[in-house]
Amino acid sequence: MNMSKRTNHKTPWYRLDLSAIVYPTLQRRNFSSVYRLTAVLKEKVEPNLLQRAVDQTLPRFPTFKVAMRKGVFWRYLEPNNRPGPFVEPDIMNPCMPMSFQNSSRYLIRIYYYQNRISLEVFHSLSDGSGAMCLLKTITAVYLRMKGYPIPSGQGVLELSEKPQAEELEDAYLRYASSRVRPPRSRDKTYRIRGTREPFYTLNIITGILKVQQVLSVSKHYQVSVTEYLNAVLLHALLQKQKEDHVFRELPVSIAMPVNLRRFFPSKTLRNFITMVYPSIDPRMGEYTFEEILLQVHHYMRYYINNKFLNADITTNAAVTKNPLIRVVPLFIKDLVVRQFYKRVQDKQSSAGLTNLGVVETPDEMRPHIERFDVLMGQPFSARTNCAVVSYGDTLSISFASSIVEADVERLFFCRLVKDGIHVMIESNRKTGVK
Amino acid sequence: MSYCVNCGVELHATCSECPLCRTVVQNPRQPVDRDSPTPFPGRKGDVAPVQKSDVTILISIVLAVTAGVCGLLNLMVFRGNSWSLYVIGGCALLWVFCLPVFSGRISPYLSLLLDGAGISMYFGIVAWLHPGNGWYLRLAFPLTVLATALVLLFAAFVRQIHASVLTRAALVLGETAAFTVIIELLIDLYWQAALQITWSAIVLTCCVIIDAALITIIRRTRLREEVRRRMHI
Ligand SMILES: [Zn+2]
Repeated sequence: MNMSKRTNHKTPWYRLDLSAIVYPTLQRRNFSSVYRLTAVLKEKVEPNLLQRAVDQTLPRFPTFKVAMRKGVFWRYLEPNNRPGPFVEPDIMNPCMPMSFQNSSRYLIRIYYYQNRISLEVFHSLSDGSGAMCLLKTITAVYLRMKGYPIPSGQGVLELSEKPQAEELEDAYLRYASSRVRPPRSRDKTYRIRGTREPFYTLNIITGILKVQQVLSVSKHYQVSVTEYLNAVLLHALLQKQKEDHVFRELPVSIAMPVNLRRFFPSKTLRNFITMVYPSIDPRMGEYTFEEILLQVHHYMRYYINNKFLNADITTNAAVTKNPLIRVVPLFIKDLVVRQFYKRVQDKQSSAGLTNLGVVETPDEMRPHIERFDVLMGQPFSARTNCAVVSYGDTLSISFASSIVEADVERLFFCRLVKDGIHVMIESNRKTGVK
Repeated sequence: MSYCVNCGVELHATCSECPLCRTVVQNPRQPVDRDSPTPFPGRKGDVAPVQKSDVTILISIVLAVTAGVCGLLNLMVFRGNSWSLYVIGGCALLWVFCLPVFSGRISPYLSLLLDGAGISMYFGIVAWLHPGNGWYLRLAFPLTVLATALVLLFAAFVRQIHASVLTRAALVLGETAAFTVIIELLIDLYWQAALQITWSAIVLTCCVIIDAALITIIRRTRLREEVRRRMHI
């Protein structure tokens, strides 16, 4: 590894991909775009072995072994050879802000607690599917050290292979080819009213469901699981808005990332997602749950296809390709982007929902893994974000919220129970305090 | 295996109350498991202290260097008078104005208070360099204090009370009227003339009339609707 680098004489560096540009500008003392993936094993995690597994795995993932640097016009990622990242015992308030100036400069963290291995990633490095690949490989290497024969494949990368160029590419630029760029302007949406938790608390409520039950319920409604969960969340938000007795009702909308790899084949381990916003406008009249389902179903079918998504990423790409924008110094870009995000983008959705879908692993890993969890991390404004992932017959839904009240979560899970789905709840919320 | 009687969800064995609705778990058949590890750890992580941002350092250095260089020039080269005090005072004032930019944590009230103190300090420097007839103590200082107090009052009003734009406008007008009247009274005192309201009376009357109209509009919903209808853009 070292030899090849030395003969190369050039240190590689990575431009931030299209969606990665936004996240560092939102960086605040009490906010970073950090999310968390967790693998729940069937036995207790041994930290020493885990550390060795991390050390062996990371060189295969050069875009995760990086530090964020500032240029005059753009930020970029630079390979980081400082010692680390070191595994740590887990904490109750995950997804803490990640300073770019921290001592080791790493933008990932690895935690262990009981049976869990958790990986926290700064969003500029990768999206959920890229990071899931890293977590799966770390877990596989760890299990191999425990003496289980685990083959590579199904997202577990072969450590002896060299990183492929396609894994490191900015796939947006390869596929952005639409000749029209649809304008985007959306209405202001309902903001959840709640008491902000003090800095720094992250309330987590995880619901564990059976995939088969959720599948049969969605089948009964003739929609997909993602559409069903979206509709349940929209329904919960609508009810919450009503309970709030707001002066003026606003549309309720969900920001949902779409994994573009499904439509534009790419092996990239970096960001390759775009946002869609299923929404319901209660000002048009009362929606029943079935009507919400229908609305979400048709919205998804209409927008989530390679033509509309291509137009969307082309609009994004146009901004960073514009020569006038490129020559603006970074600190001005930061100011503008931050204001835009605060005043426009953040107000376009009432909550976030991401569905990582079904996690595939080699069959040999299945007996050792209980389930996977995903956590969207600290929300930018006071609200709650929902993240879904499934493994085997276990579907895990985690809410991460920065407000005290758990009304949206309660309405959400109660709806699932009402539809006959068995829900098991875990939480880090302090009990016994009113 | 306890279920929340209110929500119908199964709860983790270590839950003593439902995280969703705060209903206490009471299951005589299976008491809450207080020994097994909870699903989430209890250790709270700390955030590494964030270093001063680049902007803070940059602005502080630029201001400090400007002030320092002018001070030295004044001492060594151009020794006519203490002109550098203007520059040094100005730099200090700018730095105080920039405080909210440096740290989002500083309370807006404190920063406004410091702004007021900075302005009166600058007037103080001018007064010290041009010792006049006591204009600073008798005119500039009380007016700065008053203006700071009025701005603080408005800030508190905006931050604490959710009021309409009209109500805020009414408050601004009221404060303007009070400020004008006090300016005239202080000027009268300064010239040791008889205390009487002349030109400020015009401002006062205008403000009172507009305020009265505003308050009537705010009070009467029907009137407000009418204004909205007639004035809609
Ligand atoms: Zn409950």
